[in-house]
Amino acid sequence: MLIQSARLGEMEVSDEAVVQFPNGLPGFREMRSFAFIPFGPDSPFSYLQSTADADLMFIVLETFAVFPDYTFEVDDAVAAELGFSLDNAPQTFSIVTIPDQLDQMTANLVAPLLVNWRDRLAVQYVLEQTKYSVKQRIFPNGLPKEPTDETGKGR
Amino acid sequence: MLALTRKIGERIVIDNQIVVTVVEIRGESVRLGIEAPNEIKIYRGELYDAIVNENREAVASNPAKDLNVLKTIPKKKKE
Repeated sequence: MLIQSARLGEMEVSDEAVVQFPNGLPGFREMRSFAFIPFGPDSPFSYLQSTADADLMFIVLETFAVFPDYTFEVDDAVAAELGFSLDNAPQTFSIVTIPDQLDQMTANLVAPLLVNWRDRLAVQYVLEQTKYSVKQRIFPNGLPKEPTDETGKGR
Repeated sequence: MLALTRKIGERIVIDNQIVVTVVEIRGESVRLGIEAPNEIKIYRGELYDAIVNENREAVASNPAKDLNVLKTIPKKKKE
C-alpha cells in the first residue's frame, strides 16, 4: 500500500509489513495501523509509521538484538486475544526515544511492542511488575564507532 | 466526573460488566477489587501515564535528526 510519511516521504510498503494494533497505543488510542520500515537489512532498528497520519512515527528497536537477556511474561488473556502461542511466538520491539545527544537514546523496556506476524496483529504490552525502565540506555558505552562489516575489524 | 461515596464492601457497577468493590480502607490507602472482562485493560494511573508520556516523547524526539548511524548497528549475541 502507498503511505505518506513526514520523514520518509510517500512510499510503497508491502501489506506484509503493516500490522494492526486493535487497542491503539497508550496516548494514541485511535491509531491502529502501522507499517514497519527497517533502517537496513542488518539493523535492529525500524521506523514504525502510522499509515493514517504522516506525522506519527516511532523508531523501534528489535529488543533482543540489544538486550538478549530481556525477559517478561505475557498474560494468558492477552496471548489469546493477540494469537500468541508456542507455535506463533511474538516478535518483540521497544519504542526508542532519541534526545539531542544520539548516544543517550533509550528504549522503553516497560511497555514492549509484541507482534504476531502471522495475523499481523500487535499490542503495546505494559509490564505491571518489572525491574526495567521506560528509559533504558541502548548504548551505555557510546555509539558503536565503526559499521558492522568486515572492514570494521581493528583488532 | 461522577463522584460516589461508598463504604467497605459496597460496589460500583459500570456498563453492566465492570464491578469495582471497596475491599479495605487503611489510613490514606483504599484497596479496590475490580472484576472486568479480559479485553478491558486495567492499569494503575501513574504507570499508564508514564507509558503515555514516554510514547509522546518518543514521537516528538524523532523529526529531523540524522539517524544514519542506526543503519549499521551490530546485533548482540546472547551470552
